[in-house]
Amino acid sequence: MKHFLVMVLFAALASIVFGAITKDTNHERWVYGAKVFAEFIVIGLALGWLLYFIPW
Amino acid sequence: MIKTERLQGDPVESAPGMAWLVGLAAWFIPGAGHVILRKWGRAALMGGAVWLSFVLGLAMGGHMFDLTPDGVTAASLSDWSTMIQVPPMIANFGTGIAYVVCWMMDIGFRDDPVQAARTTYEYGNTFLLIAGLMNFLTMLDAFDIAAGRKS
Repeated sequence: MKHFLVMVLFAALASIVFGAITKDTNHERWVYGAKVFAEFIVIGLALGWLLYFIPW
Repeated sequence: MIKTERLQGDPVESAPGMAWLVGLAAWFIPGAGHVILRKWGRAALMGGAVWLSFVLGLAMGGHMFDLTPDGVTAASLSDWSTMIQVPPMIANFGTGIAYVVCWMMDIGFRDDPVQAARTTYEYGNTFLLIAGLMNFLTMLDAFDIAAGRKS
């Protein structure tokens, strides 16, 4: 659980910066930041499960 | 016209000196560039993210990189084991004053096996690297705003 929370924290911090530097309006920035955050989490979990089944 | 469509012959407007100063301030003190530009929200969000990432990285026992040969695996600056530290050092260097102060006080630079054995050691490394890289992005954002290339 601790590992997951650290990953969520990492995703949150990175998506804040990614969201803030891109797009033109605040609404677009929030949407993009949320999208990047969701992608971090989903891809992180997917990779975690993929690596779980690889024995080496 | 977007940047990627710019033709080769198009003149590129040079950035004013103020933009370079803002960029330097943004690198040296994370968030300062946007404070100078009175972009309070961005300063708090982006500067806060960089500082928080850096502090968390240190708290997790992360290691920062410099070019000092450790005397065990590397005897000089030209050794591969020293040269391989250049990319992470550049990333760490992005945190500006935080990196300089830690380097001067020898915080987070020592090769300590006890520290390296901590569960959160690798997480700490990653947070420290990302803090620097995020500050480079923050710095470029502040530079672009100061140069009038974005709002």
